[in-house]
Amino acid sequence: MTTAISLQNVVKTFGPTRALDGLDLEVATGEVHGYLGPNGAGKSVTIRALLGLLRPDSGTISLLGDDPWRDAVDLHRRVAYVPGDVNLWRNLSGGEIIDYFARLRGDVNTKKRDDLVERFDLDPRKKSGTYSKGNRQKVALVTALASDAELLILDEPTSGLDPLMETIFQDCIGEVAEEGRTVMLSSHILAEVERLCDRVTIIRKGRAVQSGTLDDLRASTRTSITVSTERPIERLTSLEGVHSARTDDSGHVHFDVDNHQLNAALSYVTGFGVRSLVSQPPTLEELFLRQYGDDVTEDEPEESV
Amino acid sequence: MSPTTTAKHAQVSASRAGSSQSHPLAALGDLLRFMIRRDRVRAPVWVLAVVGIFTAGVGSVVGLYSTPSQLQNYGEISSADEAIKAMAGPGYGLENPTQGAVVMNEMGLYTLIAISLMCLFLVVRHTRTEEDSDRAELVRSAPVGRYATLTAATLWVSGLNLLTAIGVTAGLLAFGLDTTGSLAFGAAAFGIGMVFVGIGGVAAQVATSGRSATAVGGATLGIFFLLRAVGDVGPEWVRWVSPLGWAQGIRPYAQERWWVLLLLATASALLIIGALRLQSRRDLGAGFLRQRQGPAVGSPRLSSPLAMAARLQRGAIIGWCAAIGIAAFFFGLIANLADNLLENEAISDLLVQSGQASPTDLFLATMVLMLALLASCFTVSSVLRLRTDELGGHAESTLAGPVSRARWTGSHLLVSTIGSVVLLLLGGLMLGVGYAVQIGDASEVLPLVGAAIAMLPPLLVLSGVGFALFGMHARLAPLAWVGVAFSVVVGLLAETLDLPQWLRNASPFEHVAAMPAESFAPLALVILLAIAAALIAIGAVAVNRRDIG
Ligand SMILES: Nc1ncnc2c1ncn2[C@@H]1O[C@H](COP(=O)(O)OP(=O)(O)OP(=O)(O)O)[C@@H](O)[C@H]1O
Ligand SMILES: [Mg+2]
Repeated sequence: MTTAISLQNVVKTFGPTRALDGLDLEVATGEVHGYLGPNGAGKSVTIRALLGLLRPDSGTISLLGDDPWRDAVDLHRRVAYVPGDVNLWRNLSGGEIIDYFARLRGDVNTKKRDDLVERFDLDPRKKSGTYSKGNRQKVALVTALASDAELLILDEPTSGLDPLMETIFQDCIGEVAEEGRTVMLSSHILAEVERLCDRVTIIRKGRAVQSGTLDDLRASTRTSITVSTERPIERLTSLEGVHSARTDDSGHVHFDVDNHQLNAALSYVTGFGVRSLVSQPPTLEELFLRQYGDDVTEDEPEESV
Repeated sequence: MSPTTTAKHAQVSASRAGSSQSHPLAALGDLLRFMIRRDRVRAPVWVLAVVGIFTAGVGSVVGLYSTPSQLQNYGEISSADEAIKAMAGPGYGLENPTQGAVVMNEMGLYTLIAISLMCLFLVVRHTRTEEDSDRAELVRSAPVGRYATLTAATLWVSGLNLLTAIGVTAGLLAFGLDTTGSLAFGAAAFGIGMVFVGIGGVAAQVATSGRSATAVGGATLGIFFLLRAVGDVGPEWVRWVSPLGWAQGIRPYAQERWWVLLLLATASALLIIGALRLQSRRDLGAGFLRQRQGPAVGSPRLSSPLAMAARLQRGAIIGWCAAIGIAAFFFGLIANLADNLLENEAISDLLVQSGQASPTDLFLATMVLMLALLASCFTVSSVLRLRTDELGGHAESTLAGPVSRARWTGSHLLVSTIGSVVLLLLGGLMLGVGYAVQIGDASEVLPLVGAAIAMLPPLLVLSGVGFALFGMHARLAPLAWVGVAFSVVVGLLAETLDLPQWLRNASPFEHVAAMPAESFAPLALVILLAIAAALIAIGAVAVNRRDIG
């Protein structure tokens, strides 16, 4: 397995703001990698540094094996990018802009372009100043998808798309992945991340706080348990890894348990004669809310991977 | 949410909506404060520059023309030179000149133009240019009245205009010039400013972008200038078609004609009301000039950053060509009026003795300089496209493709340079053609084209200044306009202001031989080119080291 993107201990400051604060990130060739984090975490800054638009203060960045600050032009032939804010030249039509960017990299693949324009239901004749937000985004998406770049870097590419277009986008990325190309996808849409991404990295305040497959992430958090037993469970809260235990009116006991303590907790509970037991893995939302929230570092100090 | 709270909620939002509709000026005060805050640097710079330069000019004229014989001399030369009338105004009161009349002849017209530009630029900046960004939508979606933005901009710029008018009046009074005349010029300045507040407001409604609104307003000013010039040297009634002609027609220091103020007041009132009415019929972000559809596929020629830069600047270049071509042709037509001076034997003898060039050649050389100064506005605004490109986010998309920073910046610089060459060639050519038509002899055409093209090095120095600033930071780039403004002041007012030579030398135009009145001097051009190259190198190195976006 080779690496398409690798950042090591990257720091980027803007005056007093530490936008990237010792960031580590690895994206393997051929994977679809989700890049997530709360607003202002540093996702767009990472991506701009990856494209050689920003120069990091320290740390090393490698994009497809080269330094993006030094070798920007050659690297960019192999990379397609959809920016977070799509700004187009207002008095050029969408079609003109798509073709312009295609010609910058070589030739226009008219068949692929027409196909994408049709799938995304885009009117290429409109001046881009009159496009809606979603349509501006479509112009950028068609541009990126019509190229045969080996790496696609997408910064919240679907934040303005309707659900129908969202599905089409997901299909397109699926096809890209099948061709063995690499995708780095920054997104706030969890369903999209779940469906598309092989692995994800979560960044907070300029540092990676989690990285792995979604299953890894799930495994590293807690499971909610609801159990009713013959005898009252004694001293449940004194067990390691058990959180927010309580008993409801009907006598059911609810608690959360860290997954690496799951086995111990369950063995302990069975000692009180289990009548029924329901276990629930965390939903994706819970997973991310926990990672995004401010309590994450106090709660799980060992988790920075 | 309980039914009662829902009902209450609905009631509140209904009354909100109602109030913002029934008060078309809702939030006027907040918008006004916000505009003042945004202009906290720009507004003082405008007012202080206009008032300061004007007052300095008054002081210098008062010093230079202090005896009756000096005044008499000035009056004789100026009223004999018809060509200068076209550039400065009718010269009321110069038969028997007072210091006030001399000040008006030397500085009056340029000051009126500067105030007009200030009002135009600032109104467009707060109205149409805002709409080009997404901010205006945010503002309008808040409980802000339909007319509030335009009204706030009108009030704010009118206030600045009033301040400027008071400033120039105070400058005249400070040097002891006649009170009535000083007040009359202050009123003229305020009046023309208000007309351009109105024109800015209307242009903002009609045009499709801030840039085109400014262009529409600027073209209007150019037309006003030409009409009054025609009126001053030809059929007098033409002057009365131009608000600039009205402002001068108040005749400060020369039997003031106060009723002319009514013309300015009526015109500005009609324009401002017109702008408000147009605003109420227009969608946010749209202009009355419709956006057309574009092609579905890009032309194969649009395949490089250079082609893109050319495409983006095409409209501006065509517009500037029209402006400079027309102005140059007109200047050429009136050039030989300067020779009327020679009919005055005393002056003619003086000129021959001092070995000076003919008045016509001097006039033509001044016009070449004027055209070059106009062209420098294109040159700098064209280099500043780099800044628009970067702050607008287009640079990010371009540089994320296989395009180096050098290629991106180089494309804009090249288009700016080619555009400047074209403008200078055209300016020289049309000046020569106008002159040839008038005198029936085309032998001056080529020399004038040469004289114009010799102005390229100073333009490149200014574009180098803009690019070097841009290289350090995109937001610094507009400071290049200081260089243009300084060159304009030196070029047009150095004598009037009696500027010291070292200060004049800071303008790159000062070093170019004033052809055809002087002979070609290549060394200075080579040095200017070297300076321009150094500045561009600085910019190129700096832009490669910094963050983009
Ligand atoms: N050019 C800049 N100058 C100063 N600060 C900046 C600049 N660009 C980014 N920042 C700061 O860096 C931090 C990270 O910003 P970034 O745009 O990367 O966030 P993000 O993770 O993309 O957020 P979002 O989800 O909202 O897009 C923010 O605090 C932002 O204010
Ligand atoms: Mg972002």
